[in-house]
Amino acid sequence: MEINVLFFGVLADFAGVRRKHYTGIESYSDLKHRIFDDYPGIEHYTYKVAVNKTIINEDPLLRDGDELAFMPPFAGG
Amino acid sequence: MRLVKGPVTADIISELIARGGEKKECGAHSLFLGQVRNDGKDDGKRVRAIEYSAYEEMVIMEAEKISKTVQSEYDDVRTLEIIHSKGVVNAGELSLVVIVSAGHTGQAAGACTKIVGLIKEKLPIWKKEIFEDEPVQPDAE
Repeated sequence: MEINVLFFGVLADFAGVRRKHYTGIESYSDLKHRIFDDYPGIEHYTYKVAVNKTIINEDPLLRDGDELAFMPPFAGG
Repeated sequence: MRLVKGPVTADIISELIARGGEKKECGAHSLFLGQVRNDGKDDGKRVRAIEYSAYEEMVIMEAEKISKTVQSEYDDVRTLEIIHSKGVVNAGELSLVVIVSAGHTGQAAGACTKIVGLIKEKLPIWKKEIFEDEPVQPDAE
């Protein structure tokens, strides 16, 4: 599967990118491991994940072309 | 819901207030203004600006949900508008405006307070503090 990953806030600063395209992804777990390998230490941050702009609370079943956003705690206002 | 680059200006607020006058069935407009504060840190440094970033498409979607939630809870509310900054906003400048128009005072004020709470909780917006001794990136968004 091809997955577009977006990083926001402190996660974008840590990764040094706001967007990364992953190919050959087999599952959410596989994707997380690829991200953690690419940006070691990022797994220690607190974050929520949105799949196609909807926040998920459990590991999602990914589909080809999904957009996943890794989001630190919100701080608007 | 609108995201504007830089501070929310007096012109934007003035336009919102003027538009409120067109709603002649409303007897109350509640206005909230959020301002960037020059917080001091333990090491003596002060915040001189905040750089906001947002997941813009999701902000719009979530703001729509906030609007529906509030309008179902406060049935006297006729319209509401939220404007939030993206990019750099200096201390003392405004980063958020919420205006709620309702038939009567109680619901206008109650809904406005509720919306401000939901904005902080639900909208994917982040802030990065810029201190007095740090430069601002000219292309920061």
